[in-house]
Amino acid sequence: MKHVNFVLSGLGGQGILFLTKVLAQAALEKGHNVMGAETHGMAQRGGSVVSHLRLGDVESSLVRTGAAHFLLALEENEAYRNIPFLAKGGRIYANASPASFPREEARSYLERGRILCRSVEAGEIATELGGPMSSNLALLGFFSAFEDDPLTHDDLRGTIDRVSPERFRDLNVAAFDAGLKKGMGKG
Amino acid sequence: MTREEFFLGNGAIALGLVEAGCQVVTSYPGTPSSEILPEVTRLVKSEGLNTYVEWSTNEKVALDTAFAASVSGKRAACCMKQVGLNVAADSLMSAAYLGTIGGLVIISCDDPGPHSSQTEQDTRLMARLAKVPVLDPSNPKEAREMAKLALDISEEFRVPVILRPAIRVCHARQSLSWGPLKTNDQKAVFEKDPARWAATPRFRYILHGELNQKLGKIGQKFEGLSNFNFHDMASAKKYPLGIIAGGVPYAVVRDIFSEEDRKDIPVLKLGTPYPFPERMAQEFMSRCGKVLVIEETDAVIEYFLRDREKVLGRLSGHVPAEGELVPEVVYGLINNVLKELDLEPFPESGDREAVELVKRLELPIRRPTLCPGCPHRAAFFAIRKASPKAIFTSDIGCYTLGLNLGAVDTCLDMGAGITIASGFYQAFCQDGVRKPIVATIGDSTFFHSGTVGLLSAVYNDARFILVILDNHITAMTGMQPTPALGIRADGSKGKAIPLERLVAGCGVDFIEVVDPYDVKEMTALVKKAAGYVEDPDGGIAVIIASHPCIIAYRDEAILERRKVTITEDCVECDFCIDRFECPALYKDEELGRTTINRVLCTECGVCLDVCPKGAIVEA
Repeated sequence: MKHVNFVLSGLGGQGILFLTKVLAQAALEKGHNVMGAETHGMAQRGGSVVSHLRLGDVESSLVRTGAAHFLLALEENEAYRNIPFLAKGGRIYANASPASFPREEARSYLERGRILCRSVEAGEIATELGGPMSSNLALLGFFSAFEDDPLTHDDLRGTIDRVSPERFRDLNVAAFDAGLKKGMGKG
Repeated sequence: MTREEFFLGNGAIALGLVEAGCQVVTSYPGTPSSEILPEVTRLVKSEGLNTYVEWSTNEKVALDTAFAASVSGKRAACCMKQVGLNVAADSLMSAAYLGTIGGLVIISCDDPGPHSSQTEQDTRLMARLAKVPVLDPSNPKEAREMAKLALDISEEFRVPVILRPAIRVCHARQSLSWGPLKTNDQKAVFEKDPARWAATPRFRYILHGELNQKLGKIGQKFEGLSNFNFHDMASAKKYPLGIIAGGVPYAVVRDIFSEEDRKDIPVLKLGTPYPFPERMAQEFMSRCGKVLVIEETDAVIEYFLRDREKVLGRLSGHVPAEGELVPEVVYGLINNVLKELDLEPFPESGDREAVELVKRLELPIRRPTLCPGCPHRAAFFAIRKASPKAIFTSDIGCYTLGLNLGAVDTCLDMGAGITIASGFYQAFCQDGVRKPIVATIGDSTFFHSGTVGLLSAVYNDARFILVILDNHITAMTGMQPTPALGIRADGSKGKAIPLERLVAGCGVDFIEVVDPYDVKEMTALVKKAAGYVEDPDGGIAVIIASHPCIIAYRDEAILERRKVTITEDCVECDFCIDRFECPALYKDEELGRTTINRVLCTECGVCLDVCPKGAIVEA
C-alpha cells in the first residue's frame, strides 16, 4: 500500500476534529507523512462534517471517491452518505447498532465491493462511562480492536493520553478501552 | 531546537510570517482565514517574539493598519477571507500605487464550493484588478514558503503582495518541522514624502507608471522562480496534451497522475499567476497539441494564454464553471479530455453506482442549525411571535441560521441587515405603505459595518426595529473577541466599548437591553418597539438581545438549569419543531410524540415558553 486514506464523518459537535487529530498525531509519531482536510465554519453547526486523513507521500489533502481504505462514522446516516469514498475492499466502522447496520438496501453494493462493515453502539458505551462526548474515542477503540496497521491500539491510546485536555483525559482513555474491549469480544 | 508538528494550513502561513520576521499582523475573522492570527499569536507567545497582533474591526481597518506598519519600515501582514478583501478593496487599490517600504502581504483566503461564504469569487482576479502580485499555494508547506516569498518580493519591489490560499490549503493539515524563531527588531521610521504618501491625482499618474514598471520586473523574476513555477516535460519532446494547473488543483492533478501511474501528460505548475510568467507558459504550450487549464475558482491563467486554439478550460466548457474542483471532479474532467483527444483514458471510476445508492437511501439532509441552548434561537422565536408579518432582514454570522425558524428573509453582506431594512423602508414608504421590518445583526458584525448603515438610516428617518444579537463573541468563525469585550487578540486588556453607547452615538433614542432567554419579556419588548417605530415622533428602535454564547461561555450561559419534559398533552402539531427548531426536540416514532434528546438538551428551559398546548413542562 503506497498510502492510507481515512474518511471520518459525523455531525458537527460530535468530535470529528479531535478524532482526526488523534489519528494524525499517532501517525506522525510513527514517522508517517500526514496530510489532512478538516471542516470548519458554518458546517460545524450541527451539519454533516467530514475529515480526510492521508498517510504517505501525497500532495493533496482530499481523498478521491473510490479511494478510502477506512471510513469511521460517528453516526449511521453519515456512514451511508460517505460510502462513495470507499475503495474496493475498504472497511467501515460505524457508531450504529450491529443488529440493523448496514441497511438491507446497501448490502449488495457493499458485498460486491468487498466492503466490510463493522458497527458498535459507541454512544452507549461512552454514555455508560458518564461522557457521551467521548463516543468518538469509543469508536476508535473498537476500530483498533480489528486494525493494527498502520497504528496499533498502544499507539492510539498513548496519543489520546497525551493530546486530551486534562479534564477529559481519563474519560477519553476509558472510552477508548471500552470500545477496544467490545471489539475484542470481551465487552 | 527543531520540532515536528501537524500544522493547520493557516498555522503554516502563520509560521511562514513569523519566520520571515513579520512584526505586525492584523485580521478580521472569516472562514477560511480565521485561524491565521490565533496561530501567529500562539507562536509569538511560545517563542517570546515581539510581533504585534490585532483583531481589527473590519478588513479595511486591518489593511490600513498593516499598510502603515509597512510604510514605517516594518514587515506586516493582514489576513481575511476573500469577501473581506471586498471590504478592504478601497485600501488595496490605492496601496498598490503608493507602494510599500517594509514587506506587506495581504492574505485573502478563497472558498471554492462555497463552504462558508456568500460567493466563490477568485482573489487572483482582485489582484489583477489592483495590479498587485499574487501567489497561489497548493498545500500548507508551500503556503509557508510563499508567505516568506511574498514579504521578500514586497520589500524588494516596494509593492503589496497577495497570498491567496484556498480553503483546502487553510484547513488542510500537514506535518512540518520548525524552529527556532527570532524576533525582528526593525524600528519604525516615517520619512515624510507627501508626493507619495498623500499623492494627488497628478502624482498618482506617476505612481501608476512606477507600478507598471514594478510589475514588469516582478514578471521577469517569476519566470525564474523554479521552486513555484515548474514542469515535468522531457526536453525536446512534443505532447498531444499538457496540463497547466495552480493552487489546490495542482496538488490534486499530481496525485491523480501518480496514482494512475501516468507519465505521458506533462504538467506545468504555476504558483505565481500574476504577473503572469508568460515566456514559461508559451514555451510549455508550444510543445503541446492542446493545453487543459485546471485552476480555482475562476479563469485567470486561462485568460492569459494567447494561443486560444489550444486552450481547454472553463471558457471552453471542459472545466465546471462553478463549485469546488474536488479530486473526483478533476479525475472526471481530465478523463473526458483524454477521451476527446483519443488518448488512453483512466479506468472508469465506480463511484456513480455508489452515488446512486446514497440517493436511493434517502438520507436526511443535515442542514446546519443553531446549537441547543443558543440565545439567538430564543431571540428569533420572540421576534417572530411579536411581529409575525414583518420582513426579517438579517446578516452574516451564526444567526443567519435563523432562516430555519422563518425569522430571516434576507442576507446580502456584512452590515446589510441594517441597510437592507433601511432600503425596504424607503421603497415601501415611497408608496405610502408602512411595512413592519425587523432587522437582526450580531455584535461583531455590528462593529464591523453596522454603524455606518445605522447612521444613514437614522439620518434619513427610516423606521424599523433593529435587534442586535449580542452573544459577547464572534461565534461562527471560532470565538474571537469583539470590541465590546475589551479583550485583545493576545489576551491582553483593551478598552471595552459598550454597544449601548455606540448605538446612542448613532443617534438612536430607543435603546433597550433584554435577555432573550426570557422569551415573554423579549416578545413584549419587540411589541413596545413596534409602537415606537410607528409613532410619528418615534424613530428606529434598537433592542440589544444580550446573552452569552452557549459554546464560548459553557459555564455562564445557563445559570439555572431547567430540566424539561413533554407531557401527553402534545398533539404532534410540530409547532416546536418548525418554529423553535431545537436539535434536542425530535419526533419519537415509537412513542408517537415529540420528545427530548437528553444528550443534546442543555436544559436552558427556553422551550417552556414555546408549546401552544403547554405540553412542554418542567420535569
